[in-house]
Amino acid sequence: MTLRIALLGNPNTGKSTLFNRLCGLRSKTANHPGSTVEHQVGRCTTAAGEVCDLIDLPGIYSLMLEMPESKLCVDCLEGRIGDGRPDGALIVLDANNLLRNLQFAASALRRGLPSVIAINMVDLAKRRGLIIDEAAATAWLGVPVIAVSARTGAGVERLLEAIANASRAPSQATPILSLPSSEPGSAASSAWAAEVFARIAAHPPLPLDHEMSVHDRLDAAFTHPVLGIVVFALAMSLLFASIYWLAAFPMDAVDSIFGWVGAVVTSLFPSGILRDLAVDGVVGGVAATVVFLPQIVLLFFLLALLEDSGYLARAAFAVDRVMRRFGLPGQAFMPLLSSHACALPGIMATRLIPDARERLTTILVAPFMSCSARVPVYALLTGLLFAGRPIAAGIAFTACYVLGAVAALATAAILRNSILRGPSAPMMLELPDYRLPSLRTAAFVAIDRGFVFLKSAGSVILAIAVVMWWLSAYPKVAPSSESSTLRARAEMIETTAPAQATALIANADRLDERTQQAGSFAGQLGAICQPAFAPIGLDQQLTVAVFTSFLAREVFTTTVFVLAGAGHSADGEELGTLDTVRRATRTDGQALFNIPTAASLLVFFVLAMQCLPTLVVVRRETGSWRWPLAQFVYMSGVAYGAAWLTYRWMS
Amino acid sequence: MAPTPIQIPLSQLPRGRRATVECSALDALTSEHRCLLAAMGLGESCQVRVCRPGTPCIVQIDQTRLGLPKGIADLIMVTPIELTKS
Repeated sequence: MTLRIALLGNPNTGKSTLFNRLCGLRSKTANHPGSTVEHQVGRCTTAAGEVCDLIDLPGIYSLMLEMPESKLCVDCLEGRIGDGRPDGALIVLDANNLLRNLQFAASALRRGLPSVIAINMVDLAKRRGLIIDEAAATAWLGVPVIAVSARTGAGVERLLEAIANASRAPSQATPILSLPSSEPGSAASSAWAAEVFARIAAHPPLPLDHEMSVHDRLDAAFTHPVLGIVVFALAMSLLFASIYWLAAFPMDAVDSIFGWVGAVVTSLFPSGILRDLAVDGVVGGVAATVVFLPQIVLLFFLLALLEDSGYLARAAFAVDRVMRRFGLPGQAFMPLLSSHACALPGIMATRLIPDARERLTTILVAPFMSCSARVPVYALLTGLLFAGRPIAAGIAFTACYVLGAVAALATAAILRNSILRGPSAPMMLELPDYRLPSLRTAAFVAIDRGFVFLKSAGSVILAIAVVMWWLSAYPKVAPSSESSTLRARAEMIETTAPAQATALIANADRLDERTQQAGSFAGQLGAICQPAFAPIGLDQQLTVAVFTSFLAREVFTTTVFVLAGAGHSADGEELGTLDTVRRATRTDGQALFNIPTAASLLVFFVLAMQCLPTLVVVRRETGSWRWPLAQFVYMSGVAYGAAWLTYRWMS
Repeated sequence: MAPTPIQIPLSQLPRGRRATVECSALDALTSEHRCLLAAMGLGESCQVRVCRPGTPCIVQIDQTRLGLPKGIADLIMVTPIELTKS
């Protein structure tokens, strides 16, 4: 029978490092039903071959606090989640902070589960002159106590044996000093911890000094109102520059791999609906999402390094002053900044925010930040607006980023003063010791976040991608007579002028794509909805382009490219905005997009929620479809309104 | 009769100074904040040292460092150790 062991402890005790050390990659993230608090479940095997499932619960300061994390731990210990009560508890304490950690251990031991205590980071404590007496600790606490170092792996094997033995045959020993009946922090609990500490540790707690230590000086610098912000800006610039640079290579690789997979699948199936579904629907849909995986994994890897170093908690205080003006806590800065790379990791990183309202506000405004998928659209439209004026185009490009950030902060302020009104939770954070971050732990965090993201991509996103593909690919429309003529001409000159023939075929392909787009369900929907988009300067085809880019905004540039290739063939039926598109899409390279339309579209794309994966992740993080739908309606409304104002102003 | 120790808000304690947190020192806080701070180590009878005054107010309790907003530090009454008259 597999033993189920709950892993409990204060935050910053190295609990997750120990979990990763014990289970490696044999773990999965699970959500507590009805909430966004997560815990991980991993499997490990003792030297005697016994299999244990470890439940890594969130780090908490007390089991009695009115916080979702504390409730999850109590629910787990009382058997309200999973398969009943766990067989045992593994309580992880930080050797360097025993006075407080012992009080938590006492409250956890009072729950009555067979338990083992792991005193972690003993290597660090030893360097500070603190030696833990395991035998004395076992006698004074009444349960097996093992000194370990999760980082080096010292003591971990013995710990595993101890927890398996304790779960099979619980210790009958009673602690020498009765456990305090009050919660951690009370006078009785503190006195008990001080007494036990004096008996089990070979060194008294280090005296509090009156001098400013290096630690104090670093804290003062990192939380300083000006210097703290400067250091933070530098750290973040470095972080995001690394992400942009480093992610480019794996992103190209993902693109190539999916291109290759698409080609293989194409060769396996005969042409027809099945091949289209497999190549364009499934492979194309998954590729459009998985391409963001490198950014997500890298971001979480680097963030985990920063967090492990102890810097991140200080940085949160440095930016807290600024963020409070918009009703957001300091911890919201990181997710919002991450959203400039991609809203998906940004939204996933909001778990750093403890207050539920502040977290939800951050999730709802994060997609306003200009993500990397908007870059091709910005590049296209600013290029059209300021053809031959690179400085003006550059300023417009920057203005897009500013507009997105302003919209996010303004929306946050509105939300915090309306539907998400509530007191701002004061930021009370433990500032962990500065230390060299563990690459191993960071890698585990990054891999876990990557898997969580892939799981979403593999289920809901894939299903919706297939539906979106079907809407834009069906019903099949017969090629236009114009493209047939081009193909016939190409066939005639194939031997005499092959280059010209290839160009003609390419033109015919673009014409067919355009005809298909217009005739598809999405195209028909565009035609029906076009009157609604006319006030912001969109014609039927641009409306189709906006509709097809609902899945992912970068699709817009592809669609416009298709339109551009077909633009040289005037059919003489539609004028106005359609005429603008035609002039803009001529193959001679002239950028002739109507200025008001290009400006209005640019504003629309800065503010609109044109990203299906984001909606799915918001659904996952908020636990209901209500918020992503409200977010979609609000952002689309704001985008439309701002685009309309821009169009009116520019016309 | 022993003189009453002087109590001041934690936010007014200068850098490097130590103080004790008396039983009633946290009464002005909400019970939610009081319980959280106590569980984090800042409970009754503990000794604190100010590492950085202001916002955030960084205090050390044993080996734990906590960052607190000034609004919270204003509400925590402490007895400075050096100023206690015996």
